[in-house]
Amino acid sequence: MAIQCSYHLEPVDTVNLPHRFLEAMAAILTHSNYAMVLDAAARMKARCGRCSVTCPVYQVTGESRDVPCHRSELLLKIYRRYFTIRGALRARLGDPFVLTEEYINRLAEDYYRCTACRRCKLECPIGVDHGLITHLGRWILAEVGIVPKALRVATREQLEGKTRNTSAIPYVALKDTCEFLEEDCADVHGLKIEFPIDREGAEYVFFPAVSDYLLEPDTLMGNAAVMMATGGSWTIGSKFFDGINYGLFYSDRMLDRIVSAEIAEVRRLRGQKILIGECGHASRSAKYFAPTFGGNSGAPPVVNFMEYTLKMLQEGKLNLRRGCIEERVTYHDPCNIARSGWIVDQPREILRHICRDFVEMTPHGRENYCCGGGGGTVSIDEIRAFRTVIGGKTKAEQIRRTGARILVSPCANCKKQLAEVCQDHGLENVTVCGLHDLVLKALDPPQWMKVAKTADEAEERTASET
Amino acid sequence: MDTWITLARGPLFRLSLAVCLLGLAYHLGNTLAHIVRAHRRAADKRIPRGEVVTATLRWLLPVRLLRANPLGSAASLLFHVGILLVPLFYVGHVRLWQSALPLPWPVLAPGPSDVLSLLTAAGLLLLLAGRLLVAASRQLTALADALLLTVLLVLVLSGYWAAHPAASPLAPRAMVLVHMLLGDLALVLTPLSKIVHCVLTPLTQLVGELGWHFPAATGRHVAIALGKENEPV
Repeated sequence: MAIQCSYHLEPVDTVNLPHRFLEAMAAILTHSNYAMVLDAAARMKARCGRCSVTCPVYQVTGESRDVPCHRSELLLKIYRRYFTIRGALRARLGDPFVLTEEYINRLAEDYYRCTACRRCKLECPIGVDHGLITHLGRWILAEVGIVPKALRVATREQLEGKTRNTSAIPYVALKDTCEFLEEDCADVHGLKIEFPIDREGAEYVFFPAVSDYLLEPDTLMGNAAVMMATGGSWTIGSKFFDGINYGLFYSDRMLDRIVSAEIAEVRRLRGQKILIGECGHASRSAKYFAPTFGGNSGAPPVVNFMEYTLKMLQEGKLNLRRGCIEERVTYHDPCNIARSGWIVDQPREILRHICRDFVEMTPHGRENYCCGGGGGTVSIDEIRAFRTVIGGKTKAEQIRRTGARILVSPCANCKKQLAEVCQDHGLENVTVCGLHDLVLKALDPPQWMKVAKTADEAEERTASET
Repeated sequence: MDTWITLARGPLFRLSLAVCLLGLAYHLGNTLAHIVRAHRRAADKRIPRGEVVTATLRWLLPVRLLRANPLGSAASLLFHVGILLVPLFYVGHVRLWQSALPLPWPVLAPGPSDVLSLLTAAGLLLLLAGRLLVAASRQLTALADALLLTVLLVLVLSGYWAAHPAASPLAPRAMVLVHMLLGDLALVLTPLSKIVHCVLTPLTQLVGELGWHFPAATGRHVAIALGKENEPV
């Protein structure tokens, strides 16, 4: 039987698949800390379904396979049967459970219906981290070749391709884009900005989600404008400039390699810190795993761009016009930076400063709902209907209730997903943007940053000066 | 009947208690050993202790759950308070504990014990109803889950009736025997069933946090074990 999922796969070798699955699981459990996690969950036999009240996917589908503890149970069943003495004894006494291709197929489908938002952990009465078990399950699947094609192809290009980034942007095109953004910012916003490349010894080495170079010019111009206005020391690395890390969604091996590539680029440029752009999973994968994969000499600290911007605002080095955004604005918390409580207040402080009418969704912050495209699913175009109609329904209702015209989401993945959610749920009047898009609009720049917006204005300025 | 009661409250009780305590100690020791090993292997050993402690306390005092699932959480709270206090501190039970472990023991008077027993039974009934009526729970409920709740429900009710023979549907001595045998059964089931969470729950937040602290070379070791060192992505 061939493995068939709702997402596209590269051809999967199904010869001895259950055996290879168990081999991969054994290797991972031997060399990682996951055995502890499975063992504790298996001992407690968590299976009450209370987590279902928090899962935005289950709330819409009502299907048992979408209950987080049911999904965990799929893997725990394999663990109990093949990795515990009790399971071996039960098998001898007639327990009929045997791992089959069909069962693996079910795992493959169900484990990618989860957005890895980890909201269920908030409600599990015994505190089981179902997100972590899903994370492990996806890694085991990956080791037998079951990974959504979109994630695998992008990661292959990032780690082994010529361009070394997930959007396959050649370095020359990146350089052109940066120059274009500098010109565009001058033309449209009248601001001089700069995207330094390969500047050795810079304090920050910048890794945005590389798709921002193609899709989010205002976010990047906002980033550069903040750096320009505050005199920040930063650079983009020419050898590795993509913060995206799909390893977080399907394989710790890939997670390790991508984080290590970021650290290597910082060291090559003799930089001091990793600066991540507006991207939730890129921030989390760098922040939480750089210390793990950074080697004995210590990993560079990781800073999210919003942290930098708020720090500059608080220190008086960045001037933003108070209340200059007049439309109603709301904020979506990307799960990867909000669930742990790392970045919850920082963007809100900035937004409350620049927005006249900022409203919160309910719930928000640590308890936020996922956009519906988390866990890498946003990159899987063939499941768009599932992502937006099912996964994004709760978020769409939240957005609608705020009555906001501008939805700020400081994450490349969330932005793509939320734009599609708004399209599919009749919220076309809502504009989805990044935080630094608004920062760019609110910037009160120092005089030396101002340039003439158009050729006419330039002529006028020259005439008035002479 | 009296011989059976003597057996249930004597040797059988002591045997059940031994199975319970040794089993719980085994589970606790095993999980602690896992935790120590995981921490030793983790490349990043900085555990946010404050967060883990806060999260653990939040689970042990699950007030916030009342918001998300008021009825289920209230039932769970009622059940847990009663099932912890009455077996341990009811005056009749204390005599039994002291026969096995001669230590000073606080005592809960019969009046409050009765109220707690009835509330516990109500909580159990609600939990059982939730298991059978709420779709998400029903789909996940195995026979063992429902049986365990039923055993506990009969245990609590038989205890109440044993203390109030006038209201008992069975002959008083028979009810005492049922209660004692079910009590012994519950003790044996504690380390063998999901009741084991009574000792593991205080550790689950730490286990979850440590689970995200990977050993540095996990990926490379897994690749070597699977012969994938040079395999492309």
